[in-house]
Amino acid sequence: MTDATITGDRALPGRLPRLRLSAAEPWLYLAPAIAVVAIWTYVPLLQAFELSFYQWNMLPRSTPRFVGLDNYRNLLSLPDMRQAVVNTVLYTIGLLPLSVGIPLAVALLTGGLSGPLRNLYRALIFVPMIVAPIVAAILWRWLLNEDHGLVNAWLSGIGLGKVGFLSDPDVALWTLVWITGWKLIGFSTLLFTAADSAISPSYVEAARMDGASPWQIVRDIRLPLLSPTILLITMMTILFGAQWSFVYINALTGGGPLRSTTNVYHVMWEYGFKTMAAGWSTAAGMLVFAVFGLIAIGCLAAMRRFAVYDE
Amino acid sequence: MTNRASAGRIAAHVVMIGLSFLAIFPVYWMIQTSFRAENEIFSGGLFPAVPTLKNYTDVLAAMPMLRILGNTVVMAGATTLAQVATGLLAAWALVRWRFPGGALARSLIALSWLVPFQVVMIPNYVLASKLGLLDTVTGLVIPNAAAAFSVLVLYNAMRGFPREVIEAARMDGAGNFRILAEVVLPNLSAPLASVSILCFISAWNDYFWPLLLIRRMENSVVQIGLQFFMTQEGNDWGPLMAAATLASLPILALYLVLQRQVVDSFMKSGIR
Repeated sequence: MTDATITGDRALPGRLPRLRLSAAEPWLYLAPAIAVVAIWTYVPLLQAFELSFYQWNMLPRSTPRFVGLDNYRNLLSLPDMRQAVVNTVLYTIGLLPLSVGIPLAVALLTGGLSGPLRNLYRALIFVPMIVAPIVAAILWRWLLNEDHGLVNAWLSGIGLGKVGFLSDPDVALWTLVWITGWKLIGFSTLLFTAADSAISPSYVEAARMDGASPWQIVRDIRLPLLSPTILLITMMTILFGAQWSFVYINALTGGGPLRSTTNVYHVMWEYGFKTMAAGWSTAAGMLVFAVFGLIAIGCLAAMRRFAVYDE
Repeated sequence: MTNRASAGRIAAHVVMIGLSFLAIFPVYWMIQTSFRAENEIFSGGLFPAVPTLKNYTDVLAAMPMLRILGNTVVMAGATTLAQVATGLLAAWALVRWRFPGGALARSLIALSWLVPFQVVMIPNYVLASKLGLLDTVTGLVIPNAAAAFSVLVLYNAMRGFPREVIEAARMDGAGNFRILAEVVLPNLSAPLASVSILCFISAWNDYFWPLLLIRRMENSVVQIGLQFFMTQEGNDWGPLMAAATLASLPILALYLVLQRQVVDSFMKSGIR
């Protein structure tokens, strides 16, 4: 108490500048993070919005030419873009069983496992998550190789014909979905298992006393209490699935064959750095950002509404 | 009843063994192919009959793999240090003070992960080329020097720190930076380790930004080096698998040593 009055008295003359310094202090600590985020995310976002109304080939000497809404109009009328949008939806739908469906089923089935083997499984199924995407691309390219790959050797071994996993337009997209999902299955299973083991055993015990069957326990207790995790992983898959697939599209198929594996992110990349059409690329980017932004808002609302929490 | 329970347990083991096999076999296949002699690449069998290191010597001769690995270590290490430092400072500001604009600053940082990189790649590329960052390791680090993830994880960790301890340190006349460095920081080792691990692995595995920035093999990081190598060598499977194995080795070694911590830090952060 005495301490405070003494410093208070002495501080009086210098009070104003000191106050100002203390008001600025939090911003000093925030400055590095805010600067990076502003310079490399938000300002570029505004610049991309501006660029989307210009035609520009990205050469340093050429000046961007204002074209109004032409970029957007052209994009929306291009079959290219329509194909990319359809494929983006296919990627997302294809990923959901791998990131949510199978892992959830596995977690529900194996919830009772314990002991050292459980830890070994945990350690093994997580591995794909830390394998670099480009390494995943290379090793699956080898396993799925049409002439010498192991998978096709197995397939012909059991009397099935060879599959052009990356060269058949009807198959290639699903191959890329599989590689994207391969990295996620194990990790997602771990997330569901962790959420499942956090469910209080007293609920399950009480239900069992009341004569509930295992399926009823899954349906009425475990699934509702897993709903926050289910919704979270579903949301992440919808928001980021198409981005996760980009590496595999770019490294393995380049969007082909017959543009069957391209998606909106790959189209943006092609416009930007292959065709050098900055305006088209940024206009596509703005549309994608707007759509995914709306989806994100929708997902968050759905989480608030449907997730069941154990209070 | 016990019969049914044990049948369930066997089914659970079968499922987990299947999933483990699916996860680990492709990686195993990559590694064993990398030890196969050229005439043995296409023959089946689970092990190479006569293991050889020739693919590895071929890779080291064909590309500056050691230099590329060095670049990647520097890039991932510097990115991690930067993200931890900026994350600590920002999180400390948000925990220590309630101030006008604080909530806005926090949401701005948090929402930045919603902006897909492909949307801002052209302005970023233009800025990087103006700053002379093309084809440099520095250029790979700077835009990733702060991340929403590290700020938020450290913010949540610091929020649980008892206020009385901070107040007591302040009464003793410690400045805010000293409180952060000497009182708060020593108690944050678990979240710091988790942020560092996650940051290092995601920087190591990052693909898109290096793809834009890097032109030459000797300046590249492993992801792009591998991509170059794949484009050049196409279907030279032995050396390609050796290169991919070399590129994965540091992360797999890290995982071998810190398995529990690695899994936990990924689980805490959600998918991204």
